[in-house]
Amino acid sequence: MNNHLTGSELPIDGRLRLAGVLITFVLMGFVVRLFQLQILEGDDLRRRSEQNSVRQIRLEAPRGEVLDREGRVLASTRPAYRLEVVPNDLQRRAPTFAALGRLLAREPADLDGRVGPTRGRGRFRPVVLMDDLDFEVLARVETHRFAMPGVRTHVEPRRHYLGGSSAAHLLGTIGQIRADQLERPAFEGYRSGDVIGQGGLEARFESHLRGREGGRNVLVDASGREVGDPLLEVPAVPGGRVVLSLDIDLQQEAEAAFEDVPELLAPAMGAVVALDVRTGDVLAMLSRPTFDPNDFAGGIDSATWKQLTSDDWDPLQNRAIQNHFPPGSTHKALVAAALLSEKVIGPTSTVFCPGFYRFGGRSYRCWKRSGHGRVNLQDALKRSCDVFFYTYGEKLGIDRLARYVKAFGVGQPPQLGLGSEAPGLVPSSEWKRRRFGKPWYPGETISASIGQGFNLITPMQLAIAYAAIANGGSVLQPRVVLRLESQDGITVKTFASKTVGKVPVSAAHLAQVRRGLRAVVEETGGTGSRARVPGIAVAGKTGTAQVVRIERYEGLAEAEIPIRYRDHAWFAAFAPAEDPEIAVAVFVEHGMHGSSAAAPIAGRLLRRYFEKQGRVAELAVAPPSSLPAAPLVRSDSAPPASPPAGPAATATPPGPLGRGTQP
Amino acid sequence: MRPAIDRRSLQHFDWVLLGLVTAVVGIGLANLYSAASPGTESGMPSEFRRQLLALGVGVGGLLVALVLDYRRLERMAVPVYVATLLLVASTLVFAPITRGNRSWLIYGPLSLQPAELAKVGLILAMARYFHHNPPSEIRRVRDLWMPALIAAGPVGLIVLQRDMGVAVLTLLIATTYLLFVRIPTRAWVAMGAAGVLAFAGLWRFVFKDYQRERLLDFVDPSRDPLASGYQAIQSRIAVGSGGLLGQGYLEGPQTQLQFLPTQHSDFAFSVLAEEWGFLGSLVLLGLYFTILIWGLVVANNSKDKFGAMLAVGVVGMLFWPAAINVAMVLGLAPVIGVPLPLVSYGGSQMLANLIALGLLMNVSMRRYIF
Repeated sequence: MNNHLTGSELPIDGRLRLAGVLITFVLMGFVVRLFQLQILEGDDLRRRSEQNSVRQIRLEAPRGEVLDREGRVLASTRPAYRLEVVPNDLQRRAPTFAALGRLLAREPADLDGRVGPTRGRGRFRPVVLMDDLDFEVLARVETHRFAMPGVRTHVEPRRHYLGGSSAAHLLGTIGQIRADQLERPAFEGYRSGDVIGQGGLEARFESHLRGREGGRNVLVDASGREVGDPLLEVPAVPGGRVVLSLDIDLQQEAEAAFEDVPELLAPAMGAVVALDVRTGDVLAMLSRPTFDPNDFAGGIDSATWKQLTSDDWDPLQNRAIQNHFPPGSTHKALVAAALLSEKVIGPTSTVFCPGFYRFGGRSYRCWKRSGHGRVNLQDALKRSCDVFFYTYGEKLGIDRLARYVKAFGVGQPPQLGLGSEAPGLVPSSEWKRRRFGKPWYPGETISASIGQGFNLITPMQLAIAYAAIANGGSVLQPRVVLRLESQDGITVKTFASKTVGKVPVSAAHLAQVRRGLRAVVEETGGTGSRARVPGIAVAGKTGTAQVVRIERYEGLAEAEIPIRYRDHAWFAAFAPAEDPEIAVAVFVEHGMHGSSAAAPIAGRLLRRYFEKQGRVAELAVAPPSSLPAAPLVRSDSAPPASPPAGPAATATPPGPLGRGTQP
Repeated sequence: MRPAIDRRSLQHFDWVLLGLVTAVVGIGLANLYSAASPGTESGMPSEFRRQLLALGVGVGGLLVALVLDYRRLERMAVPVYVATLLLVASTLVFAPITRGNRSWLIYGPLSLQPAELAKVGLILAMARYFHHNPPSEIRRVRDLWMPALIAAGPVGLIVLQRDMGVAVLTLLIATTYLLFVRIPTRAWVAMGAAGVLAFAGLWRFVFKDYQRERLLDFVDPSRDPLASGYQAIQSRIAVGSGGLLGQGYLEGPQTQLQFLPTQHSDFAFSVLAEEWGFLGSLVLLGLYFTILIWGLVVANNSKDKFGAMLAVGVVGMLFWPAAINVAMVLGLAPVIGVPLPLVSYGGSQMLANLIALGLLMNVSMRRYIF
């Protein structure tokens, strides 16, 4: 085929012939070089190839630390040792596995089976026999490794979460990069098998935490051991630090308080969010049930993964931001602000509560069937009177109410950058037409005005809304991270505190709502007395959100209702009531009573906050005389069934469910 | 409107060229499968799947380049040239910075390196220019201002992308045509001296430190030894250990242990040399050589200057990257990120080179048409 190219008939133009000659020369040069490398030096180079003489070893960069606002380490990196076998390098198979079996206290045949045959293209790939060796085993293997070619130990930096499951949902998880992620431009330069942040802060600050990997060229002998000094080494650069707004003390207090809820509520599920009402700093955020992110650090084993993902209560879900629930009576504070601002009620407005409210031929019950008598706004908040809010909520109308609730930040995700957030839901007549193609019925306004019906809110949104009531109307962007630092502590980026909206309610009206909320906790007969902190005035609101309206559970004792049909318990609070600093939202899933399940958790959290500053009154304040009659039955719209294992001396008669929204 | 392709052209279809190209592409795919398999847990390596997809697109491009009579393509040369320039320019606006340069347009899972397509635009524009201004009549350096301008378009934009390797490669493709001009030797010497002086001036007074670093890195990659020094050593070992007959397909220890990080792209030839040995390497080099010489024959037999100049451009477009890449793998040139045409992993080069070969077939099959 080539002969007619050099033939004389071909290149009429001399320059084409010249091009042909040049190309031929280049080809001949390559052939000579190939001959030299492959034929003359071939045996030598093949031997070098078999010895694997120079090997490049990746030096993984330790991932950056995550610190709390006081500089305490939440996540760091530790060395982890793993035992590997390269099948191709195994020289004396049987004795090697016999020795390994003794060292690791495992069955040699089992180890042999896991490594598999020394054949095929997989024979160079190291097989991991044991991960995260403890130092004793490591020392034993290392002392005998010279006699076991093909066996090696490998050290790598491993993520370590010092608090175990503490703040797990916030910190997130790490895991191997997925095939679809590798294709994205954001992961340019990543390789298959790289470990990246897959959730929470680990994912959000992946590029900052990651650092830069280094490499080392080493000479290795036939058994894969490094010999001599490294030829070249470029050290890895550790990742930068992330400083959170979180306060570990408060976080741990909230976690401990959550473990101490009454035994009836086991398993304890729910969420807590604590915000600084001046800056939006997230001081604590937890979600239950939870998981241990350390399980993910070395690659999660399939049993644990299966357990986490098949759990009905979904421990991986961050309930503080990723789930929304009906707000129940915590909604009343927002409704109160709207009523005042729209002049539907004035300072002297009262309603007589006979225990029910008639509208459109139906009867809407107050949670307290015997009625509250004549109540003003302050009483209505304090004792969580439903009829007061039915009466005026109906006058306000759903669309005016929706405008205010949205202004408090409900209905759109607050964008913390921690994965998909639930938006919450603020129903309006237009929403209902769009969603269901049906008009809004006035009766639905009545449900909405006590936080039942279509309304949904996330614990984070509730904390934001109460922070806005507390700080004079500023809707804050929650700030999870204060700043990013380089690995040696130099600040590279700070995150400013941000106000994203202002509620259209005057300072005087907000003050009026705050007075009512203070009464809830501090005054005799309030539903939130369990959130009290000695020496500090607390303002708050209980809530009990109905999960189902199933008649057959109405007469049952609480313990007999299946867990998933029990009501949710809420408590939202801020303190000090007169000059607020911190807002707290506590959500206990299926916790039944805001007053008994949620309020004590908020109380402990607030107490810890003020204790740290030495502001909690030293003397043990005797419980107010009203207390014996209070806690369990004062839960606002909760079913007053038999109180769990408590003194039966309750003021409210047990009886059929006094559910507000029951027709 | 005449039919795009007539029976006479079909009768003269260049089956030999098609066979040669098919053989090279087939070897490339088989080689990529082996090179990419060690990073794959099971099944088909994802690079292999993506390359198959690119091949499908490339065959489409080849057919498009083949169907229209190349003399009609001449009228489209300038628009095609401008379009490819715009495509390259758009990377400066849209492309994310990856590995220090912005060469890639990315849309979802699809990515395109417009600089590769710019080479096709460049040879079309060059061929059109030299059709009307035969290079054999060019005797003075100053007559080259227009081709210099044509080359400066893509080269300048690619420099702005900060992709120095591809910029130099594109410049080399343009210089292929200098082989055909009749400029006296002393003019070359004078021009070379002026160039050196101008560069020295730029170096001393204009360039910033990082730009000097970048150029030095390009000239002497051992400045970054962990990457390129290591690669040079490993590539030499891989090629040499192939011996006469090779280590066997899917059996090369260097390849299967992934000693070379870019073995499926820039170092594809080292994988072939290791697994198929001296004889296998000769087969691939022989195929390349035959394609290049075949291209020169097509240029020679072409009935008009445009066809000839186009064929010369295609030969240049294949020759330079192939020669630089093989020289690099064999340790005869510094480590530069230049893919081996039709063999290395990379959809954009596959597409651009298949379009170019379509043009070559186009010229070849219409050699008897007047």
